[in-house]
This record gives sequence, structure tokens and C-alpha cells, in this order.
Amino acid sequence: MTTASRPRVLRRVLAVVVAAAVVGTLAFLWQTSRFPARFSVTEAGHFERGSGPRGALPSGHDHHGSGGVPGAAVTVDDLTEPLDGPADVARTLTARTAPIEVADGAELDGYTLNGSTPGPTIHATQGDLVEVTLVNESVTGGTTLHWHGIDVPNAVDGVAGVTQDAVPVGGTHTYRFVAEDAGTYWYHSHQISHEQVRKGLLGAVVVDPAPGGPVVGGREVAELLRDAVDVPALVHQYGPERTVQGVAGDLVAEVEPGRAARVRVINSDNGAMPVWVGGAPFRLLAIDGTDVHQPPEVRGTAVLVPAGGRADLLVVAPADGAAARVELGGVVAVVVGPAGAAAEATRRPEATLDPLGYGAQAPSGLDPREAARHLPYVIDRQPGFFDGKPGMHWTVNGRTYPDVPMFTVRTGEVVRMTIENRSGQAHPMHLHGHHLVVLARDDVRATGSPWWVDSLEVGDGETYEVAFVADNPGIWMDHCHNLPHATEGLVAHLAYQGVTTPYLLGHGTDNVPE
Amino acid sequence: MRVVFRILAFAVAGMVVVQAAVMVWAVAGLGIFVEDGGVVDSATMEQALAGDSPFPESVGLVLHGMNGMTVIPVLAVLLLVASFFAGVRGAWRWGLAVLLLVILQAALGLAGHSVPFLGALHGVNALLLFSAAFYAGWRVAAVDRASARPAVVEASGPVPAEGLPS
Repeated sequence: MTTASRPRVLRRVLAVVVAAAVVGTLAFLWQTSRFPARFSVTEAGHFERGSGPRGALPSGHDHHGSGGVPGAAVTVDDLTEPLDGPADVARTLTARTAPIEVADGAELDGYTLNGSTPGPTIHATQGDLVEVTLVNESVTGGTTLHWHGIDVPNAVDGVAGVTQDAVPVGGTHTYRFVAEDAGTYWYHSHQISHEQVRKGLLGAVVVDPAPGGPVVGGREVAELLRDAVDVPALVHQYGPERTVQGVAGDLVAEVEPGRAARVRVINSDNGAMPVWVGGAPFRLLAIDGTDVHQPPEVRGTAVLVPAGGRADLLVVAPADGAAARVELGGVVAVVVGPAGAAAEATRRPEATLDPLGYGAQAPSGLDPREAARHLPYVIDRQPGFFDGKPGMHWTVNGRTYPDVPMFTVRTGEVVRMTIENRSGQAHPMHLHGHHLVVLARDDVRATGSPWWVDSLEVGDGETYEVAFVADNPGIWMDHCHNLPHATEGLVAHLAYQGVTTPYLLGHGTDNVPE
Repeated sequence: MRVVFRILAFAVAGMVVVQAAVMVWAVAGLGIFVEDGGVVDSATMEQALAGDSPFPESVGLVLHGMNGMTVIPVLAVLLLVASFFAGVRGAWRWGLAVLLLVILQAALGLAGHSVPFLGALHGVNALLLFSAAFYAGWRVAAVDRASARPAVVEASGPVPAEGLPS
């Protein structure tokens, strides 16, 4: 070897070393990002107990528990409503793979429940024991039913791989729960949900208040509600067509002049939808199934309904015999008025109703000062690998799925959570099994009626302070309801101390909840 | 390795062309849909990204995202690695420049969702990225052409390794 060639050799060695470092680092990141073939949600992430007076849980592992949340004693299967006794509302829903007809006779590949999509609306009265038997006739990937917004017992939450196994073709699964809270809800598959919901496995749930119960809307609202027409308005896009209750156009609610309609808007799509009313004022009666306290009449403002969220609008048909139009994003509408009455379409008002200051203040029944712990839920985005796929991926508290937080709480605690979105996009955050009360947004405190949500639109750059009571033991998903975002890892879980799950996720199982 | 470097460099430049094309295609489709009375809100856009769209050109948005966030960054990393072995003085600098411009491009594209002006810079940086990638490929091709004539003599000798920091 001559002295002249030494730099060349050195360069070549250096080239190999640098190249090996680059490729080796990427290969390592790729390999470690791949999901295990079979894993339990309780083993995948890290426990996040938050801060606060009771931040530490006794007998806890520090991270990566083996076999469940610290002190696991019960499994999700144990967390049921009393199983005996006849149901007040009993339905069988048969899921099929079937073509869906959209406008102009075009057909799409999709799914139906009892031969239609959306599936049948399930009506119950507060306090009813509801029993729904899901029959999977021909949904090849398996399916489940999740009761979106209903605080059901954990065993019937319907999340494949967390609270049950996906129901295979030929299988059945029975969901039993007491409809404790009146309001507007919906059900949908929580197996391969980004595809199965989009293609039709969904329907509305309406729980009427028990007779003689209190009306928080005030005397005038109670008066209007007495003979109001109830209009479930589940909005869903099939292929290119947005529909309301399966109708790609106007849904007509026949209401005599001076009488009211309760329009129950359900947004089952993946992005927020503005809703406004032309031709009449309206009241925002309920958000995510919870009544607003004394909602004032408003006009010239839009209500933003997040993906997965619901908004009940009370609309009085104009006294002059014309109709009012509840615009659902300006694409489809609910027409409220006497038969044959017309109403002109209107453009979206510039103003957007802010629930933070809407309605009258009232006790929420929850004192955030008593919070036992404070949990951070920071949504961001970073480059890297996700199950072997390179790209920009969502993170929760700086980590990528499945290494996301398992928020750990004890039964009975008041819990505060700060949801901060730094990710560059809005996220409709949905916590299963609980309702959250909004305390503040970007340090502006809530001043209106208690704003209870289960699906909260957290805009880019926004920070929400919320609180909830940990009163429903189990293991609960807490995820983005823009369902493709959930498949991309924007998922965390809330787990109660002492609860574990026998169900598994991963490529080696048939469970794919997102 | 020179051929690999050249192919990767031209592939990055070509993908930038595809990026510009699919984006304008999608925006044109969106424009026609709106002109025809179509209405778009967040729900419409998110359904479009999920695969259900009232205007078919929305596929361009999906392609733009996939190419920009995955395909082009992967090509750029491979280009940098190939540059170490291209045997062309300074090739690594071009490989690194392309990778840095790709990173900047992705950052500007994402930031454009929050600050529209940064989206405008995304468009300007696309031209820089295209130029850098094209120049890198062209330069190596030029070296290839120049060395093709005396190659009969040098082919049996050791491959010169000149692609590294000096």
C-alpha cells in the first residue's frame, strides 16, 4: 500500500461506516417499530399515572407491566350489568357484506345491518335494559358493535382486542346494558372501524327521558318539548354522497307551524361538520347526549359537530307556514315545517356557537379541585416508523403507538386531563365509557352551562382542560375519532387499577379495533 | 453505484414533478366540484382522504401525501447512501443537499396547514429540490460520459472512491 492510496482507503472505509450507520439506524428503528404478533393493550404501552395528590398507585410496576394494570384482579369480562331478567328493548342486528345503493342507481361495496345502512335506529327509554344480539352473517374481517357515547359497562363496549374478540362470520355476540342517560347516541363497528364504519356498519340510538324526569332546558323548552317531533338525523357519507338517515337530499320533518322539532344530528364521518338553521332561530338543546342548561335561542350562528359528536337542535316551525332548514354542512338538510312547505337553502353564517359560554351556569356535579390526579394528553407528530412504515406519525405524550400512555386511575377519583394538540391538524378526541366536562380552552374558563362531551374537537394549537369522574371501571379507548388517524396510532387507553383484559391485538390475532 | 445514484437523483426530481402535477389536478377537480354547486367542509375532506370523495381528483391529495411523506424521503435517504459510493467528488454534498431540502419540504408542507404563507414557500422550495436533484443526477451522468472514453484503460483498475468528505 502506498502512502498516496491511504486517503482513498480511509475514504472508502469512512463511506462504508457512514452508510452502515445510516442504514443500520433506520433498520433498527424499522424493526423496533413493528408491532408484536400478539399483544395485550395492558402490556404494550407505559403506565401514565399523571401528577397530583394521589398520583402514585400502590403496588405499581414502573412500566411495561406483565399481565395487566398494577394489582389486576378482575378482567373486563367481569364488568357487566346484571345479566338475568328480561330486556325492555331487545333487537337482533344481522351484519352482512352487501352492495349499497347510492344516487343514480350506482352501487358500492359495503355492509348492512338488517339489510339496510344506516342500521335500524334503536329507541329506548331511560332505565330500560337494552339487549342487542349481533349476528355476523358475512362480514369477513369480523365485526363488533360499540355504543358511542353511552357509558355502558366495559364488557359490552365492543372494542375488538380490548373488551371482546371480533365476531367472526357465523358468530354472534350479545350486548346488554341499562340505558341510564337520556340522549342521542350511535352505534358502530369497532373492528377495522376506519373501513367498516365508512362502509355502513352504524346506526343511531335514541334514549328518551324517563317520564316525569327533570327538564334542564327551562320551562319554555319543557313546553316546546312536550309535543315536539323527534327527528334522528344521522349524517353519513357513502362513497361520494353525504346522506342524512340514508337520504341523499332533504329529510322532511312534518311539523305544524309553531310546533317544534328536536333534530338529533349525529356526525358519523371523520371530520367536523358545521350545522346551521335557515328560516328560524334555534336552541342547542344537547351536546353529545347531555342536555344544555337553559339554552338560549340563537340565530345566525353555526354549531360545529365533531366527528363522532352529536348536537340536538330544537327548531320551531315558523308561524307563517314556511319551513326552516337545518343545514348539515350545506350538503344535505332537515326541513322542518308543514307538509309541502319550502325553505331556501342558506349559506353558513360567519359566527360559530361556542359551547364554552352557551347556556346558564349550573353545578356540574364534579369539583375539579378535588381531582386526585392530572393526566397530560399531548398530541404531536414526528418522523419515524409505525409498524414498519416510514413517515410522519402521530404521537401521544411524545411516543408512537403502541408505546402510548395507559392512563391509570382508581375507581371513584375525580380526574383532570389536559388535552393539548400540537400536531398541525384538528382531532376529535373520543373517550369511551365516560363523559368529560370542559373546564377551559386555552386558559379561557368555561362560563356557560356545564359542557359535557364524549367527542371533543381539539383544534390545532388548542389546549383543553377537562375533568371526569372515574366511575366506570374497565379498560377504555381514548382515541381520535377521525378513524384513519386512529389506524395511524392516535390511540391511548384509560385503565382502572386492578382491571386486566384477556383479549389480544396484533397481526397474529383477528382483532383490529381501529 | 453511479448508475444507482443517477437513477435515484432523477427519481427524486421526477417525483417532485408528480407532486406538482397531482396537487394541481386535485385543486382543479375541487374547483370544478365547487363551481358545480358542491359544498366542502372538514367532514367532506376527511372522508375524501379516507377514500370516499365527491370529486375523484381528491386522489391527488392522497398521492401527494404518500409520495411526500414516504416515497420521496426514502428515495432521498437512499440517494445519500448511494452518494458515498458513487465515486464522484462531491456527490455526497449533493445527496445531503437533496435530503435536507426534502426534510425542509416536508416541514413546510405540514406547516402550511397552520400558516398558509409557509405553504407558499413549500411551492418555492419544490423548485429548489427539483433543481438540486436534477443537477445531482445530471452531474454524475456527465462524469459517466467523460469517463466513458478512457474507460477502456481504467476499467481493470480499482474503482476510484472519491465520494467522501475530504
